[in-house]
Amino acid sequence: MAGRRLAAGRNDLRFSCPIIAERRERVIMKLIEIKNLIFEYFRRDSEGAVEEMVEALKDISIGVQQGEWIAILGQNGSGKSTLAKQINALLLPASGSVVVDGMDTSEEELRLQIRQCAGMVFQNPENQIVGNLVEEDTAFGPENLGLSVEELWNRVNDALSVTGLEEYHASQTSRLSGGQKQRLAIAGVLAMEPKCIVLDEATAMLDPEGRQQVQKIVRWLQKERGMTVIQITHHMEEALAADRVFVMKQGSVAASGTPDQIFGRKELLEECGLCLPQLYQYLYFLRGQGILSEREAGRIRNVEELSSVLCRRYLEKGGEIEKRVRGRGNAGNLSTAEEQRYRCLTEGIWLDHVSYIYDKGFAHERTALSDISLGIGRGEFVTVIGRTGSGKSTLTQLLNGLYQPSEGKLYFNGVDSSEPDFPVKLLRQKVGLVMQYPEHQLFADTVEADVCFGPEHSGLSKLEAQKRAYEAIAAVGLPDTIYDASPFQLSGGQKRRVAIAGVLAMQPEYMVLDEPAAGLDPRMAAELFGMLRRLCDRDGITIVTVSHSMEDAAEYADRILVMDRGVVRMDGAVWEVFGQPTELEKLGMSVPAGITLLKGLSQAGADVELSRCRQMEICEELARVLS
Amino acid sequence: MGKDITIGQYYPADSFIHRLDPRTKLAGMVVYVTTLFFLRDLRLFAVAFILLAAAVALSKVPLRYMLRGMRPLAWMLALSVLFTLFSVTGTTVLWQWHFLKITETGLTTAIYLGLRLCFMIPGTCLLTYTTTPTAITDGMEKMLGWMNKLGVPVHELAMVMSLALRFIPVLTEELHRIMKAQTARGIDFQEGSLPQRVRKLIPLVIPLFVSAIRRSDELAMAMDARCYHGGEGRTNLKPLQYRGRDRMLQAGMAVYMIGMLYLSVKL
Repeated sequence: MAGRRLAAGRNDLRFSCPIIAERRERVIMKLIEIKNLIFEYFRRDSEGAVEEMVEALKDISIGVQQGEWIAILGQNGSGKSTLAKQINALLLPASGSVVVDGMDTSEEELRLQIRQCAGMVFQNPENQIVGNLVEEDTAFGPENLGLSVEELWNRVNDALSVTGLEEYHASQTSRLSGGQKQRLAIAGVLAMEPKCIVLDEATAMLDPEGRQQVQKIVRWLQKERGMTVIQITHHMEEALAADRVFVMKQGSVAASGTPDQIFGRKELLEECGLCLPQLYQYLYFLRGQGILSEREAGRIRNVEELSSVLCRRYLEKGGEIEKRVRGRGNAGNLSTAEEQRYRCLTEGIWLDHVSYIYDKGFAHERTALSDISLGIGRGEFVTVIGRTGSGKSTLTQLLNGLYQPSEGKLYFNGVDSSEPDFPVKLLRQKVGLVMQYPEHQLFADTVEADVCFGPEHSGLSKLEAQKRAYEAIAAVGLPDTIYDASPFQLSGGQKRRVAIAGVLAMQPEYMVLDEPAAGLDPRMAAELFGMLRRLCDRDGITIVTVSHSMEDAAEYADRILVMDRGVVRMDGAVWEVFGQPTELEKLGMSVPAGITLLKGLSQAGADVELSRCRQMEICEELARVLS
Repeated sequence: MGKDITIGQYYPADSFIHRLDPRTKLAGMVVYVTTLFFLRDLRLFAVAFILLAAAVALSKVPLRYMLRGMRPLAWMLALSVLFTLFSVTGTTVLWQWHFLKITETGLTTAIYLGLRLCFMIPGTCLLTYTTTPTAITDGMEKMLGWMNKLGVPVHELAMVMSLALRFIPVLTEELHRIMKAQTARGIDFQEGSLPQRVRKLIPLVIPLFVSAIRRSDELAMAMDARCYHGGEGRTNLKPLQYRGRDRMLQAGMAVYMIGMLYLSVKL
């Protein structure tokens, strides 16, 4: 008995030894060492003949220390994901070498060990879940390692508790939300006890809350477990938390350094098709205007700090303290329900006490929208924000007649949609709907045929349909050389535009877009929103977008709707909605940096125009008040 | 349409049937279904029905849920019964109208076929309702392990099946989404002649295929990244183990089969 206990004790000792050794080593050893890495592949046409050789990675040499947090930034197609897959030995170098924890990826017998050492989380949570139950999926990796049952359970339990999924351990994976699925993917990697975790745009498909949760877990892992983190992301804010940032451009590392160093170089980032995080954009501007010195700007870490510095600056300047509230006059009236109703009943869409219930009459019925009254008038640019599951997508599908209200009524130009002779087809044509990831619905051989599809089905002649298709393709900013290309060979951003053109070719008066910029890099997202803004201003098309990005909402929309659990909680002009930070926070939303700055200055007594919410406008206001 | 496909979808509950070893359930299902094919007496069908009803009751899967899942199969069932009814020839003609005729043999064959299908479908579904695809896979892999020696890739086949089951809800959801998107672009799937309707399937089927291929590509990558390298050296989080209830049920099923076969020969 005693002997056994002793043996067990000795066992523990043996287990702990490598950990100590590892800690000692951590200081000196590089966990990942990439030298002169080149990776290329052939692009083939439909007959299989080689069209061109693509150099995806060109001569990359980087080293990563154990315990470091690395962010990799870059445009779509810059080679970020390819690089990540090299670390996990999913792709192998054409020349050069990738060494992970002392193991060269080109040695086949080490491949499993390398993959165990550097775990990988991919973008789409759906497509990396293997198991049916949460615990089974978590165990998939360790099972492949051939661990004992007891060890499997230990690891599963640990991984699930770190990712906060314990209570779901026996749930079906298909029932989880997007954020939970992605946490499960992380748990699956953790259960393999890797030294390094590679996140390949793992937060791209999540809402802000899901993103924050993932970010929190990753931070904890790096801090408490000394794990190396390599995070590929389009969200510049996420890169701020990293120790080092690599910026990739056309297959090579264009720059590397601390976030401060990288985000201090605006021109470089823009050259690489990226943009600064909002805070840094303002810092850059203020420095350029001579309002802040280089040193002052370098010390500021967050929006609150910048806001207080600016307020102090304003008061030092002898700004008189007078409480004047401006901008309330005109825009404030926009949201009075009566007026809205009147206006939208004449021309527009009016939802009158609308509820929508999924599977009504079944035990598992679920209310997605409850008692909503709102109008969308002609020429507006409305952005709907809110948590996942707050009813945003359901709302978009109601507006276009895909769903009929379970209760209440929808009026289109004053006509009740529940009337038997209501022209549903006309509504669907007048209100174009672009769903999430619309490029997944492309199907035709050529771009032209795909865009023509809608008009042809609405009974137009081939010639007329073509004419409309050409107009639509031009309107989304694509060249006419693209007509005969296969939609499947285009880049992600181009596919998205073709899909939008397909809806635009129906000549709608309203366009409803569910997260139009999801998965696009910052530059492409900006171009897309610019295009929507043009459609609204120039062609008078009403735009309704659903968005997770507060910055995009503030930059492009005129009116914001905030939804929460099937109810519209806030509805008003951009500055009105974002002027209520506490209320927004309760709904899981945040306020863009620029608006916080203006509000701070206004509270300090400065005479700023709060209704100016676009970044350019905010910069002008800051310059006017402070210089 | 897609939402009704609950067939093959695990229904989480904690019941006697859920707790059984998947191998017991698989074997039980096979025994039950094969026995059905030997039955030629309505009294014996009644016994089979009682067994099925007992199993359903024990499984705690709501009857409504089960029936809803089987609705798409009702058509198939009706068609095959009708086909048998008119196609099986016999000596005694019961009814005739032009070339259509029903014979006595035809009638009895059709009734038995109908009953068999009616019992077989819920019997098989009960297995998938009460057993996760992973467990079914594990069970099949263990039971058919001997076929490995004959060169049959048992583990791979089992994995393929389990992944297929896992992706049924994902792809049905995808189908719904594509359908909605194309409806929003002006297609009405409810109207038009048959050839027109068939043509309308193209904008549904192609994106669905593309998506399935993309997903399988990504999934393969993700499995690679998690050190998947076939069944060799793989362990299992929930190793299969027979317990008392399994032995009991196996014995019960053996008695059932022998008894039923004996009786159907005798009667």
